Amino acid sequence: MTECLTKTNKKILTKGNYAIANAAIIAGCECYFGYPITPQSEIGEFMSGKMQELKRAYVSAESELAAINMVLGACSTGAKAMTSSSSCAVALMQEALSYAASDELPIVLVSVMRGGPGLGNIYPSQGDYNQATIGGGDGDYKLIALAPATVQECVDLTYKAFYLAHKYKNPTVILADGLLGQMMEPVEFGEYPYPEVDNSGWALTGAKGRSARVIRSYAPSADNQCEFLNRLHAKYKMIEHNETQWEEINTEDADIILVSFGSPARNAKSAMKECRKLGLKVGILRPITLFPFPSKRISELANTAKKFISVEINMGQMIRDIKLAVNGKVPVELINRPVGNPPSVDEIVERIIKESEE
Amino acid sequence: MEKNFIIAGFGGQGVLLAGEVLANAFMLDNKNVTWYPSYGAEMRGGTVNCEIVMNDSEDVSSVNKSDADFIVALNQASFDRFLPKIKKGGWMIANSTLVKEIKTRTDINYLFAPVTKLADKLGNIRMTNILSLGVLAKISGLVSLDVLEHALDTVIPPHRKNLLPLNIKALKIGYEYDLSPVNA
Repeated sequence: MTECLTKTNKKILTKGNYAIANAAIIAGCECYFGYPITPQSEIGEFMSGKMQELKRAYVSAESELAAINMVLGACSTGAKAMTSSSSCAVALMQEALSYAASDELPIVLVSVMRGGPGLGNIYPSQGDYNQATIGGGDGDYKLIALAPATVQECVDLTYKAFYLAHKYKNPTVILADGLLGQMMEPVEFGEYPYPEVDNSGWALTGAKGRSARVIRSYAPSADNQCEFLNRLHAKYKMIEHNETQWEEINTEDADIILVSFGSPARNAKSAMKECRKLGLKVGILRPITLFPFPSKRISELANTAKKFISVEINMGQMIRDIKLAVNGKVPVELINRPVGNPPSVDEIVERIIKESEE
Repeated sequence: MEKNFIIAGFGGQGVLLAGEVLANAFMLDNKNVTWYPSYGAEMRGGTVNCEIVMNDSEDVSSVNKSDADFIVALNQASFDRFLPKIKKGGWMIANSTLVKEIKTRTDINYLFAPVTKLADKLGNIRMTNILSLGVLAKISGLVSLDVLEHALDTVIPPHRKNLLPLNIKALKIGYEYDLSPVNA
């Protein structure tokens, strides 16, 4: 598998996991640290070969804790560095993510979700929406969270993740799921489409010829910490303003708007098309960035739509953000599968018909 | 038009590889395609399958559909499991070396071909998967032999290229197998 992926403009058929790994390499990822876990192990496998071939750093870490802290260290030098993992192991990384947010380090984390809580199972899931968007570390921090729905988007959003992480000096997570990681689709890699971000102003590169720098997340005085948090959140506001991304189809005249991210959004889109054939006014909004969440747009649409339905592979996590955006204007319902493959197109259509009759 | 294929059999019969060749062929034909494997706590000798969804006009929407247009069943367990999933008027292509020729459904088409026996006769039993792909290509009419050959060349890694001629031979034997299909 490894040998057929290179920097090429030719379309090739590949798995979501390989697509992410190869895109990271094209994006200029200099260091990969990781520990295997299904359903994302192909990322580490690919990196173990390619990174060494390219004389870049690959470390098979002794644990996920070690891996994420190695990324933290590498990023402090301004390097493009990443790790990848899944659910219960991403849980182990939460402390370091909070530190990285506080240190303002451009960590890229690939989280290919599987069943939880606890060890759970290896089937696809979206049970870590909250983990990615709210977080499990301490303090008032945010990760930028990107959600691909196709293998091509696995490529495009990996490029974007490296760019945004460095542009905003903020840890960034690519939130995929087991289905996307394991599925193969034709992709084109092309070139890394973003400019390189200058990090010479903050990176720890040895203090030769300049005064020493310190990156730390410790602010002993209350005033310092208040000032820091205000500045951090001004940055988050700017990210919301500049980077919110979503796909929207048939929402203008829609009575019912489906909101779905990642792999279930594909089924939701098919269901929307089926409903249109039946004469039902259904639209879909697919958040591509989960933080920043397209709250403003959903709030606008709540003035014209009669109902929103969140389609997820969990017990209903994104629905909370939809409800906050809708702010009680119209009802918000849930079509879900707790874990495994997304609700089928037939299932979604059936529910929409029922919801539209109420 | 969207068509949906499931290839299923024992772990070790090359089910996932056959699917990968088919998916590559559709890609080379400029069609949209998605390949998705069954995965879980698998072991050698257990059952495995993959689903290939091809769409010639729009993006492939979903995988894990509730039904399929074509099923290739390389063992009895796969035949039994996937028979109910075939769409009305769809096809069951079964490996008659390992599958009993019993037609419990009357609303679908069957083709029983002794693909394992034919591969053995060719000199390598591991050609079963590619041979059955030849049969599928003929029956479905959705992919040509030329494109499949090209796909084989894409999928087979450099250090296994010596097996390409035998694979192409297997593909042709499958394609030229006397179908005489039994229509429902």
